[in-house]
Amino acid sequence: MEGVLGDFITVLRKAGVRVSISESLDAVSAAQIMGYDNRRLFKEALSASLAKSHAEKNIFDSCFESFFSFNFFQSPKKANTHNPEAYPEALKDQLSALVLKDDKGQLAALMTEAGRMANISSIKNPMQKSLFTMKILNQMGMPGMEAMVGQIKSSTGSGLSQQTAELLEKGRDDLVQTVKEYVEQQLQLNADGVDSKDQFLKTTPLSQIELRHFHRMDGLIQRLIRQLEDRHSRRLKTANRGKLDYKKTLRKSISYGGFLFAPLWKKKKENRPDVIVICDISRSVLRTVRFLMLFIYGLNKRIGKIHTFIFYSNMIDASYIFDRYSIEEALSKITTDPSLPIIRGKSDYNTMFTNFRDHHMHLVTKNTTVVILGDARNNFNPPRAEVLKAIGERCKRLIWLNPETKPFWGTGDSEIKTYAPYCHLLQECNTLVHLERVVGTLLSARR
Amino acid sequence: MDWKTDKFFSVEQVMDGMKAAHYICDSQVATTIYLAANIEKPVLVEGPAGVGKTELAKVVAEYLEVPLIRIQCYEGLDESKALYEWKYGKQLLYTQLLKDKLDTIMNTQDKLADSIEKLHQYDDIFFSPHFLEPRPLLKALEQPDGVVLLIDEIDKADEEFEAFLLEVLSDFQVSIPEIGTIKAVRKPLVFLTSNNARELSEALKRRCLHLYIPYPSAALEREVIKTRLPQIGEKLRKQMVAFIQAVRTLDIRKPPSISETIDWARVLLLMHAESLNRELVGKTLNVILKHEEDIRVAEEKLVSLTAEALKADDGMTGE
Repeated sequence: MEGVLGDFITVLRKAGVRVSISESLDAVSAAQIMGYDNRRLFKEALSASLAKSHAEKNIFDSCFESFFSFNFFQSPKKANTHNPEAYPEALKDQLSALVLKDDKGQLAALMTEAGRMANISSIKNPMQKSLFTMKILNQMGMPGMEAMVGQIKSSTGSGLSQQTAELLEKGRDDLVQTVKEYVEQQLQLNADGVDSKDQFLKTTPLSQIELRHFHRMDGLIQRLIRQLEDRHSRRLKTANRGKLDYKKTLRKSISYGGFLFAPLWKKKKENRPDVIVICDISRSVLRTVRFLMLFIYGLNKRIGKIHTFIFYSNMIDASYIFDRYSIEEALSKITTDPSLPIIRGKSDYNTMFTNFRDHHMHLVTKNTTVVILGDARNNFNPPRAEVLKAIGERCKRLIWLNPETKPFWGTGDSEIKTYAPYCHLLQECNTLVHLERVVGTLLSARR
Repeated sequence: MDWKTDKFFSVEQVMDGMKAAHYICDSQVATTIYLAANIEKPVLVEGPAGVGKTELAKVVAEYLEVPLIRIQCYEGLDESKALYEWKYGKQLLYTQLLKDKLDTIMNTQDKLADSIEKLHQYDDIFFSPHFLEPRPLLKALEQPDGVVLLIDEIDKADEEFEAFLLEVLSDFQVSIPEIGTIKAVRKPLVFLTSNNARELSEALKRRCLHLYIPYPSAALEREVIKTRLPQIGEKLRKQMVAFIQAVRTLDIRKPPSISETIDWARVLLLMHAESLNRELVGKTLNVILKHEEDIRVAEEKLVSLTAEALKADDGMTGE
């Protein structure tokens, strides 16, 4: 039975439930304690030790139902009563003997074993069904049985041997049907059909995600944000209270006549980066802007100050919009609000950089991370790379995110190759996975 | 008394025992507890708020007739509050009080090196169990008769606390640098609860059995109310449960859970209600729904919901 449990765990793993070795061991001991006779208790015990979240419970339930449904070999047609001893020649062939004896348990065992030999768990798509059915039947000894049927038929035998041949033929048809069902079931268990939608959303280019997936995306982002927060809060908060502060304790003790009994503690300093985000909000980049902002403002606990600038043909400071409105409202405001003093013509990095140099350079300090999000398509204006160089020298880190895929960099009016040498990090950024990685590096202190 | 043979002989026994303690559970819950006691693993209980996760641990403690030790997790909870703490004040005070004593020890020696040598023989006394303030986790390990340990809302604690729990959960022991490793006198039965405020680490999940408690089915919910508030008439009970079950299918922020159903039953009992009607439901809606928008959503559909609930009673009288 442990072998079967092992197979079941393999199926679970393929279906997307993460099962570790120790959990498998738990399942084995749970199964031993509960026994195999009560199907419901057996299922509950396995469920408690293998599936560790609500989603996994659902996967577990469906896998369990299909895996432990040994209802084949229970054909409704009742086999004829007969006496196998009457046909000694038929019993020489193992498979024929089993069919004649109607030994379903043995047949099932034989089939599972043959399946294992044929490596059935590697089945991936429906095209392979007939191949695997064939392999398993052969492995079980079908050719031998076929030969036996032919032999009995051709022998000038009595009505009894004809009856045997008929029985065997019927048994063969049932067997073929059963093996087909078995292969079908294995296909469903082993093919990767389980909910991988989240994974799909994570790696789809942001510009191609449809509006109706936005809701789901936002949930996904919230989850990623929590993960990032967890990962980065650990280092910052090893303990809210630091070590014993001897100096303070001594100083305090003076007021108690030098008796030391009120301990004072060192405080931990939090290390949160300031972030300046400069976003191109031209149509080609807008989608990515939306998701990046969701990330950055979602992480505002871990980030000190956020300054947001948006630019199209000119640049404006949009921080107040994000401060005043909820993130959703702010996003829709910067994209559509006509009252904003932003000119929606052609994106112009020249104006942006000059404006930033003249008015906002003082915001850049050695604790600032500057994130520029844009495709660097400057419509053949002067690139102003020297301003970027100046920013890069002043700030802690300069990150440029380009939503274009790499092959397009530097083609036409793209200036990204001119800007590249001055960025500490230049990354293609058009899927959620990219975004998560970028924001992760944003939070880590290293340059 | 041994739990395994005494209280955890079979799943049915656990289920009956829980029922005797006024906790109606389905077989999945009983099976998981039974397993947890038999293979000595902690149980991670998840599910929506108010389905009786915390209550479960309390009832198991009652069933086993052992004390319940509870740690309420929150952001910033660390080992000094959960495991142990040195009594720093006491240490400092004792050093002062024992100054004279120390002086005499020191005075007998002439050389500084000798004094230091002498002192080395005493320094450990200040980091001995006398100066240790045990917190819930340590207390749980020290109980000679076993205990039910409830780590409530583990998802609210920081990830590092979760990591720190791993040693306790897998080996039932803790390491205190100054003293050494303290093993459980008797392995406690551990329950962790989580509302899924954040994803728990794989490492933690791996060490626990997992139990998901969903919103109860109608039959189970009726049973729970029957056990908790036997004074409620059968008719009202069926109507209530049908109504609550229908409300859960609405698109609302916080669907009512079993604890709200019980509260509502109490309220209806106080108001001497015999059966539901629209006015009564409208007046008491704020007992089961805790958000303004939710109440508005439910009020819009109040007529049909109430009608359905009244109908459900007729349909199920045969049950």
